[in-house]
Amino acid sequence: MIELIRTLTETYGPAGNETRIRQVLRDMVKGKVDELKVDALGNLIALRKGKGGRKVMLAAHMDEIGIVVNYVDEKGFLRFSALGGVFPHTLLGNRVEFENGVVGVIGVEKLESPDKVPTFDKLYIDVGAESREDCPVKVGDIGVFSRPLIAQGQRLIAKAFDDRIGCAVLVKLLEEIGDCEHDLYIVFTVQEELGLRGAVTSAYGIAPDVGIAVDVTRTGDTPEAPKMAVALGKGPAVKVKDARMISHPGVRQALIRAAEQNGIPYQLEVLEGGTTDAAAIQLTREGIPTGVISIPCRYIHTPSEMVDLRDVENAVRLLLAYLSSKELTE
Amino acid sequence: MNTFEVLKKLSEAPGVAGNESGVSQIVAEEFKKYVDELRTDALGNVIGLKKGTGPSSRRIMLAAHMDEIGLMVSEIEKGFIRFTTVGGIDDRILLGQEVIVHGLKPLPGIIASKPPHLLSPEERKKVTPKDQLFVDVGLPEEEVKALVRVGDFISFAAKCVRLQGDMASGKAFDDRASVAALVCCLEHLSQMKHRWDVYAVATSQEEMGLRGAVVSAYGIAPDLAIAIDVGFGDSLGLSDAETIKVGKGPAIAIGPNFHPALRETLVKIAQELEIPYQTEAIPGPSGTDAWAIQVSREGVPTALLSIPLRYMHTPVETLSLKDIERTGLLLAHFISRLEKFPPE
Repeated sequence: MIELIRTLTETYGPAGNETRIRQVLRDMVKGKVDELKVDALGNLIALRKGKGGRKVMLAAHMDEIGIVVNYVDEKGFLRFSALGGVFPHTLLGNRVEFENGVVGVIGVEKLESPDKVPTFDKLYIDVGAESREDCPVKVGDIGVFSRPLIAQGQRLIAKAFDDRIGCAVLVKLLEEIGDCEHDLYIVFTVQEELGLRGAVTSAYGIAPDVGIAVDVTRTGDTPEAPKMAVALGKGPAVKVKDARMISHPGVRQALIRAAEQNGIPYQLEVLEGGTTDAAAIQLTREGIPTGVISIPCRYIHTPSEMVDLRDVENAVRLLLAYLSSKELTE
Repeated sequence: MNTFEVLKKLSEAPGVAGNESGVSQIVAEEFKKYVDELRTDALGNVIGLKKGTGPSSRRIMLAAHMDEIGLMVSEIEKGFIRFTTVGGIDDRILLGQEVIVHGLKPLPGIIASKPPHLLSPEERKKVTPKDQLFVDVGLPEEEVKALVRVGDFISFAAKCVRLQGDMASGKAFDDRASVAALVCCLEHLSQMKHRWDVYAVATSQEEMGLRGAVVSAYGIAPDLAIAIDVGFGDSLGLSDAETIKVGKGPAIAIGPNFHPALRETLVKIAQELEIPYQTEAIPGPSGTDAWAIQVSREGVPTALLSIPLRYMHTPVETLSLKDIERTGLLLAHFISRLEKFPPE
């Protein structure tokens, strides 16, 4: 499982430019599904046929946050802006890599007050170029955090667990699920970090009976963390509410029942900020009963996100248990 | 119908955005008296269809949201309940409120914090923020944990009271006053002829971002829509420009969210029938279900009637019952005259 997760987190795939990560995912799931297609926005949609049950959409987004180059100066330094929720304090001393493999260091101009976090206009990227002409990165190129995965006991540290860890859960699900009553539409969505855009179109196209997103959620278990009753290692979280949606009560209850009947540890999630693909899936067409399984994750949207492997494995078990039931809502 | 009685039933029912089942039962009972078909969709919208006489089967959607703002359990700490907010809650009104915690069974509780004597001088100057407040249901920790879970809803417990004249005060008048106006409209229509099919919708999750309106409008695919919501009523500290007058009839909104011909027709009918009305200018997003419905599918000509309401988003929202009745009457006459739209 760790190797699967490593491959997924270390692969390049910023929002809007998911070609590479999509190829990796396609190779992982082909042979395990009945149909495989890519829609106009780039969502990878895998269908595993069931035995006449419900149409279930399971979504994890494959895009990651990044930075987009908006200017290259005559000395070859790059100026950039955020692609998705990237914050300057996570960039200092950091490295980014581009699709062509070039790595850049984030530099900071001389600051008037060094005790304040600089704004984007004080930051630049240095790829070691000597001139604009010589620079191997051009305007419009997108960089992502450059970090390898580290496994330390049960804790994993990497970039882009948001939401490659959700992708890993769905890949693992396909490996482990045997016969299933339901038609499973496994969707690796694009552009979640730009506003759930891939989920909007893929859910419209599929028109599922039930939607489940698998994504990360914040925890309240770090020093001085804002209050939140979710901790690393205590099981996947069943979402009740986030900033944009309230999970369908029947789906939420069915997930809880699946966990309790199978002795799978779980937590209940009430998240004050942020949302997931589920918020978009829920509003598709005439409305879709939708829920979320969240992997607790510290330091989201930094180059060093942290999850607990047991939570990831239990999320797979929880999905298997949930999907083994005939009734997917209570 | 007895407007106050209907409003009181609607107002006092629990129905925080995302869990409207308490109030939706009451809405269903009221709608059932007048509609031909009734259903609840995947997001909990209650949709009543009152069929028209035809010959064409054109559809008008009336939308009033039945969800209310409220709270949700975020953590249980030493038997006290920490909470987060659902919808636009003003921290100023929380301390001292009576609430119902919807755990395994409904538990009456109160919102509390430190006594003023023990506040620091700094704390005294500020409104106590919600993360320093908690709900006390009066039970020991083990019993609270057995009955209450993270994610349980908490609703305000305020009763709906009759003030002097035709005024009433209570919680969740935003927007159940408009649901009452829908019931009033349906009652009138049961005594009138109308050609168009009428879809009366008590929408869900408006306070979470117009979510019920998005899916119900898609499902109904109406040819015309009117949202009914509340507008800021006049009171001390507000200018005339910011408010509409309580007791002077519904406001017919003007702005980019509203179809001009639809608006003008409503104005004309109000004038003809001498139903008092006001004008409310909304230059941008209206923040009402009308905003979502207008861009459903290929677009829907949409209007908004606003019932004047004082003290919005508090448990003592205050209005004139006559304004509810006038809104229902105007809607019914508009619908009974509907033939072609836009009119030639």
